[in-house]
Amino acid sequence: MKNVKKRSMLLNAALMSTALASGTLSASAQEVTVGVLVPLTGELGEFGKIVANAIQLGVAEINAAGGTSCGDIRTVIADTGGSPETGIREASKMIESEGAVAVLGPTSGVMVALVDLAKRSKTVIMSPYAGTITLNELGGDYVYRTVSSDLGDGAASGLWLKDQGYESVAFLVQNEESTISPAQVARTTLEDAGIELTDFVVYNPGQPSYQAELISVLSHEPDAIYLAGGQESGVTVIKEATAGGFEGEWLFTADLAVPEIFDAAGADLLNGRAYVEFADADNSLDEYKAFEALHIEKAGGEPGPFAANSFDMINLIALSLEASGQCSGEGINSVIRNVADGEFAVSTFADGKAAVAAGEDINYEGASGPLVFDESGTVAGAYTIQAAEGGEWVNTKFYPASSFE
Amino acid sequence: MNIEQLLLAVLTYGCLYSVMTVSLNLQYARGGMINFGTVAYFAAGAYAYAIFTQEPPSGLDQYAFGFNSPWWVGFIAAGVAAFLFAIVTGWPTLRLRGEYLALTTFAFAEVLHSIFLNERRIGNGSVGLSNVNRPDFSWIGMSDNYGFAGAAILLLMFTAFLCHRILASPYGRAIDAVRDDETAAEAVGKDIKRLRFEIFVISAVPVGFAGALYAMITTLVSPGLFTAEVTFFVWIALILGGEHTIKGAIFGTLALILFEEVVRSFNFETVRSAEIAASVEHIMTGIIFIMILRWQPFDRFTKKEAVQ
Repeated sequence: MKNVKKRSMLLNAALMSTALASGTLSASAQEVTVGVLVPLTGELGEFGKIVANAIQLGVAEINAAGGTSCGDIRTVIADTGGSPETGIREASKMIESEGAVAVLGPTSGVMVALVDLAKRSKTVIMSPYAGTITLNELGGDYVYRTVSSDLGDGAASGLWLKDQGYESVAFLVQNEESTISPAQVARTTLEDAGIELTDFVVYNPGQPSYQAELISVLSHEPDAIYLAGGQESGVTVIKEATAGGFEGEWLFTADLAVPEIFDAAGADLLNGRAYVEFADADNSLDEYKAFEALHIEKAGGEPGPFAANSFDMINLIALSLEASGQCSGEGINSVIRNVADGEFAVSTFADGKAAVAAGEDINYEGASGPLVFDESGTVAGAYTIQAAEGGEWVNTKFYPASSFE
Repeated sequence: MNIEQLLLAVLTYGCLYSVMTVSLNLQYARGGMINFGTVAYFAAGAYAYAIFTQEPPSGLDQYAFGFNSPWWVGFIAAGVAAFLFAIVTGWPTLRLRGEYLALTTFAFAEVLHSIFLNERRIGNGSVGLSNVNRPDFSWIGMSDNYGFAGAAILLLMFTAFLCHRILASPYGRAIDAVRDDETAAEAVGKDIKRLRFEIFVISAVPVGFAGALYAMITTLVSPGLFTAEVTFFVWIALILGGEHTIKGAIFGTLALILFEEVVRSFNFETVRSAEIAASVEHIMTGIIFIMILRWQPFDRFTKKEAVQ
């Protein structure tokens, strides 16, 4: 009798596990996986969190609108710590184990390392902040970004330094491709405008002090210093330059466009004399205003840098799945350019889904601006300059993409 | 968790890093030389491979040379580059002992890192060389993942065999003698300087090959990939596995990579959970290090093997 009971219990357990397994399988069959590969730790960790949260916000909206024809979007999130090797290992896992149709959010170094994997595995990779000029040549097929190239940042910085009417400017540039390339473009703009370039110093990060690099810069007493550096080196440079007697103004690049900089460097050193430049959405667009309102409602605050670009990424992926009728990276890659540059303008996933169902050739107008990919899979950029006022960054000037034509 | 994917990653990266651990074992545990610059020979191999296989510069490229050679030419060049760099660094430094040698090799590695970072004509500076060519395994009907895992296993087998043959020979016993008592070894006619120099240079060659394989897998070669962290990783793996035996060096490295991969094999569907996991990984790594160093399971295992 006991044996019969045991057998029946075992049978029941087996049936239940089969039912559970089939339930899991049927649930996963109605989902499409998207990998979110961002730096949650390390120097760019703050940006990674903004990007991942904005993607999650987009996913919630898409799933609330009924999901894609491939099912609801499921995200798998991993931290790269900014390391290309970790990026490759995590992306391989996302694609091969989790069946991700797209991997979103890698930083410049990781994006470059993933180009080959993306093309081999026919999986779309997309970044909202990888401005590296290397992608100007490698991007375009399976490799996209909803931000412009770093060269555009340089042009915007140069334009701002010229507009400010400075007579002399010194450049302090961290030895990284993402900082040197835009600095060289900004330098050309200044030279063309006849502004004196007192120094162009390239420094290696990770030093306990940057006094040696600052000696020459401070001795020339420039009107402004263009500082293209990371958060760790940037804070030290700001403090040491001020202690060394620098009384001019600053222009920082995107890495310092975070509120934490005021605590780290000291708000007193920045208020009224520091500006920061970064690629940004056009705040005057209705699409951006709608996104901003959504972000405030759902995330409880103003969107951070690259949040709109990140929100646009996931919408483009979802609409491409819808438009292609295929649940694969290959399908997304085949239609993504058309989805971004069609004829029938839509600004939300729900509208786009309805338009695709009605047979329209959709044109997704994103929160970060009109998204039209060039040959290298890059969009034209708009840029914002913010000023340090009262211990926070405040919008001061906006350069639309048309400013650089 | 996909077991197949996890095993492939452990085998690929575990065997790749094991090549360095086994080479370091030869230098340190048997040769008595503390090399804190292992990453330099790894980087020399990776850069040589990339430069030889890369297309000539065009457009925005800043590097001066790209020979567009087939992968096997780049692979040989990687071994030669590590060999030459070992000669350049070994000649002036091997007269030093203990911590002085450790610091000097560390300094040489930092100098090489700085050259790769600042001299853009070698490898595009901080940008590095991207889209590095890699062999195609489709002609033998094998996917890239299996192909590179197989290549890493073969390279490790070659390195382990080489080290085993060296150490099992009279030449190996002479190396042990030099490590145990230099004066006594010299008294019986052993050329200490030559022996130390030879073992230093020979053990650098497989590390160069590992660098080439790493460049093929990542398809990217940049200074950011070749920091002192690589050297410390290899040292930790060697200490975890227990010094003196080839098996210990391999077990230590595989265990370390397995731990990393198991932690990463969990899926996180929210930002907060992924963030916590990233932080917990470092804490867990520390705790496991302490536990392994306290009980040294691999060391005991390899000693038991040695007794048998």
